[in-house]
Amino acid sequence: MQLPTGTHFDSYTADHAWWQTKFVWFRMLLLLFVLLWVIPTFVGDYWLSFLNMVGYTILAAAGVQLLIGYTGLITLGHAAPIGFGAFACALSMYLLDVPYLLAFVIGMVAAGLLSVLFGLPCARVKGFYLIMTTMAMQFITVDIILTQFLGPLAGKGRGGVLAIEPEMFNIGPWIIYSVKDAYIWMIILCVIVMVFMANLMRTRVGRAWMAIRDNDIAAEALGVNIFYFKLLAFFVAGALGGLAGCYWLTNLTIVSPEHFTFGWSLWLVGVILIGGVGSMYGHIYGALFLTGVLELVKFALIPLAGIFPEAMEKFLYIKDLVFGLAIILFLIFEPKGISYRWWQIKNYIHLWPFSY
Amino acid sequence: MLHFTEILITGLLVGGIYACIALGWAIIFKTSGVINLATGELTMIGAYTCFALYTMGLPIYVAVLGMLAIALGCGVLTERLWLRPMIGEPVLSVIMVTVGISFAYKAIVCLIWGADTRVFEPRIFPMESLMLGPIHISQVFLYSFIVAGIMMAILIYFFQRTRMGLAMQATADDEMAARSMGIPASSVYRWTWVIAFMACGMAGALLGNINGLNVSIGYMGLLVLPAVVIGGMNSIPGAVAGGLIIGVLENMGDAYISGFFPGGVKTTFPFIVMLIIMLWKPYGLWGWIKIERM
Repeated sequence: MQLPTGTHFDSYTADHAWWQTKFVWFRMLLLLFVLLWVIPTFVGDYWLSFLNMVGYTILAAAGVQLLIGYTGLITLGHAAPIGFGAFACALSMYLLDVPYLLAFVIGMVAAGLLSVLFGLPCARVKGFYLIMTTMAMQFITVDIILTQFLGPLAGKGRGGVLAIEPEMFNIGPWIIYSVKDAYIWMIILCVIVMVFMANLMRTRVGRAWMAIRDNDIAAEALGVNIFYFKLLAFFVAGALGGLAGCYWLTNLTIVSPEHFTFGWSLWLVGVILIGGVGSMYGHIYGALFLTGVLELVKFALIPLAGIFPEAMEKFLYIKDLVFGLAIILFLIFEPKGISYRWWQIKNYIHLWPFSY
Repeated sequence: MLHFTEILITGLLVGGIYACIALGWAIIFKTSGVINLATGELTMIGAYTCFALYTMGLPIYVAVLGMLAIALGCGVLTERLWLRPMIGEPVLSVIMVTVGISFAYKAIVCLIWGADTRVFEPRIFPMESLMLGPIHISQVFLYSFIVAGIMMAILIYFFQRTRMGLAMQATADDEMAARSMGIPASSVYRWTWVIAFMACGMAGALLGNINGLNVSIGYMGLLVLPAVVIGGMNSIPGAVAGGLIIGVLENMGDAYISGFFPGGVKTTFPFIVMLIIMLWKPYGLWGWIKIERM
């Protein structure tokens, strides 16, 4: 951590603060001002919905970051708690007329419990076998529970699609109706999740998780109850997934099992790998990068569509191709992700003119 | 009872094809420790190249040989380009490289051939079912099983009798010792990928011949994972047995259990069984129990 010359602290609290100097405070408040006022005022609806997609990816990847980056439990089925949370929230609003905020909490808890249920085998197995459990969670939850049982509750013959009236998403008097409202709600949720995760990692729980990630046998020998902490990690990650699912519901007002495919689970892991595993901002960079690159590909294809009419139909495949190549190339050439590169750039600027 | 026997036999016959894919997976894992999530795409590439050569009018033997040659090229390229730089990287990175490979290859196949279902025309195997006493056996399944069996026999012979196969076993056992005995480990890795490509491609061609070809053939790559978990990941016979078990389970689940559920059982039933087996015997039926030290 580089600090300007002459900066010193009189207390540990000040020394451990996230934002240590007035300049950083000013920068962060400026960022918040830009995010909450400048962007929604001056940016059009198309780009706002693009940012909503980025925000949803950030929220969804937060749980994956917690599991893979901090606890070392590789999950390839994180779309399952996201979808389960979204369906729990939607169904409790649709069938029981629960107010949105309460349904939100229900969705988070339900997703967390689902995640714990499928995390139970972690008592006996780890590594590849745990990956298999999370994959089983993906297929059992999305293909059977959501598609066959929870979806049809909303009425037969809708293919498991649930639609909620946009007027029902209200927090007190504020109705989340337009793209702009969804954007502001997204920023609020992202800030809450960031603050929560950043502080959780500095408590006993977070340190126990990191000990498990680095060497679980050593952690157990040091007195960390690894079964309890692994299940806790599954619960918190599942609840964060549920939060993302509930946000997705506000953003789109419909929810379908097709939004939570195995591909989406893999996509989330790709997001944190490209952004940086075990980095506090990793999933933010990853989400911005991947969603942004896809947007660029889309814009690059539009002029091509005049020459090759089939270019737009094949967008889906080109998107997959770009994603696959991005993951491979990042892992080969920059395994530590964008956040490490960003850290290097910051160091370069800090040390200038003596940077090397 | 007759119905049961028919389902069992069909399951075993389909399971033979799955076993072929599982063999391809297990050889890679056993030798280089790479958990390959791109198996389905290896299957797809084999199936589509075989299909393309066959629809060009080549006889099926030539088409299959051409497919194997292309599989050889793809295997060498895949290993050299994407897997070689990853030696020594953490497990998650290697897994995600195979995920990246799977996305990219699936996209390339879809860009070339499109997502519509294709059928091998004219059919290679006769469609009528064979009567064995009172039991119906579909000839397509039977011949596919035989072809897959021959393929597996060749691969297992290669693995256990030839010089390169023995080098693979040595590398699987202890890479350091193998290297110091003069075994070129990188060429061993290359050949494991070639073998995996060939086995999966053969299985893909057979599957495409049964149901028609479309993107969902890539799903086989996921189905192979319960097979190897049930069989035990370090065990080649275990992988074959796991494949057979998965074939039977899938058909049994479809026939007997799907009546109690609204649907979707056939695809998820192997995973449910796998979960139960993992709770009871975490290292599979024939796998090694790994003892960890600090």
